[in-house]
Amino acid sequence: MTQGAGLPVAVDAMGGDKAPGEILAGALEAAAAGIPVVLVGPEGLEGRGDLPLIVASEVIEMDDDPAKSIRTKRDSTLVRAAEAVRDGKACAMISAGNTGATMASALLRMGRIKGVQRPAIATPVPVPGGTPTVLLDAGANAEVNPDWLVQFAVMGSVYSRQRYGIEAPKVGLLSIGEEPGKGDTLRKEAWSLLAAEKSLNFIGNVEGRDIMTDAVDVVVTDGFTGNVVLKTLEGTLKTVIKALFGAFADPAYKEHADALLPALLPMYATFDPDNTGGAVLLGIDGVCIISHGSSSARAMVNGIKVAREMVDTDMVGAIRAAIEAMTPEGAEG
Amino acid sequence: MTIDRTAVLGTVTRHLADILEIDVSGISEDSTFSDDLGADSIALIELVDALEQEFSSTLEGFAFDDDELAGLKSVRDAVDYVVRAHGG
Repeated sequence: MTQGAGLPVAVDAMGGDKAPGEILAGALEAAAAGIPVVLVGPEGLEGRGDLPLIVASEVIEMDDDPAKSIRTKRDSTLVRAAEAVRDGKACAMISAGNTGATMASALLRMGRIKGVQRPAIATPVPVPGGTPTVLLDAGANAEVNPDWLVQFAVMGSVYSRQRYGIEAPKVGLLSIGEEPGKGDTLRKEAWSLLAAEKSLNFIGNVEGRDIMTDAVDVVVTDGFTGNVVLKTLEGTLKTVIKALFGAFADPAYKEHADALLPALLPMYATFDPDNTGGAVLLGIDGVCIISHGSSSARAMVNGIKVAREMVDTDMVGAIRAAIEAMTPEGAEG
Repeated sequence: MTIDRTAVLGTVTRHLADILEIDVSGISEDSTFSDDLGADSIALIELVDALEQEFSSTLEGFAFDDDELAGLKSVRDAVDYVVRAHGG
């Protein structure tokens, strides 16, 4: 039987720019769709219908220091949500609140999977007409060691396989050129280690332009670079889409625009971050979904669905097995 | 209230061994977090959080002062901090 089956997904009712309104709306919709949900929020939280509530009296704000706030706000919604998973009251947690504090809460309350040196944030990047590329780390670790990148690659491969059904995900190391010698010391050392890891389908270095194509399924990098890449992609897509719709608004092109819209709107939906189901913190001994700060009700519904899916497919168990099966250090590549 | 220093040392080393996934026998009171044990800032936050949870049962509200965290360089520093907070 799947671990956590029947348990609800813990939803941080107070996390995010649109909390609690949009968060509650999403939680209610997910529950109506048959996914058990438990909210974590203040006593007397209104607008939650008949959803159960784990009471938490404090809220970690978006600008709170992550490491400090989870120690000083022990009765916060984030900390209580992570504790609910740890204590077997919930099968997973999701928050659209402070990303650093979400990560710290999960790390300190649920703990790491044995052998995992650092958890990483895995974000699905849309690929038009294809399966998303998993980018990690998208911001959990600003600085990394080369061997952490190998673990990120292993965890990202499991995620790609479990969620998107790709049997042997193509793993690329993000660098400034395809040749093995390209990049800084970190990238060069990581390249050798990745090439030696037998459990990976490592294809070598990839560049930023490859991420939104089917050339690669999993892209590994440090959290600083990953976050910059992610925000750059988001900003670029928004700008291009805005410019495109601006051009379509011209009466001279209206007839053509109307004809094209049925083809373009699904593509637009592909790029909408509310449809990706959020980022996932991999390497934690539990399921933790990090939804973006401006999450709508739809984003929460999709995030809750992904959380449930990760529990049902035992993503944590699969990562644990993959980490245990890694090539021993020093073995021939 | 005072607290037994040996017991505190045992608690600190037990948590450190758990966090760093190393044998407790490899940790001594003289061990430095960074140079000897290879603990980084995240590992230290894990340790601080674990100790705060553990010792809040013997001293209500026990917490490390954030301004003093940078001064914690070794196992001895952490043990001293806990013992001092308990009036030792």
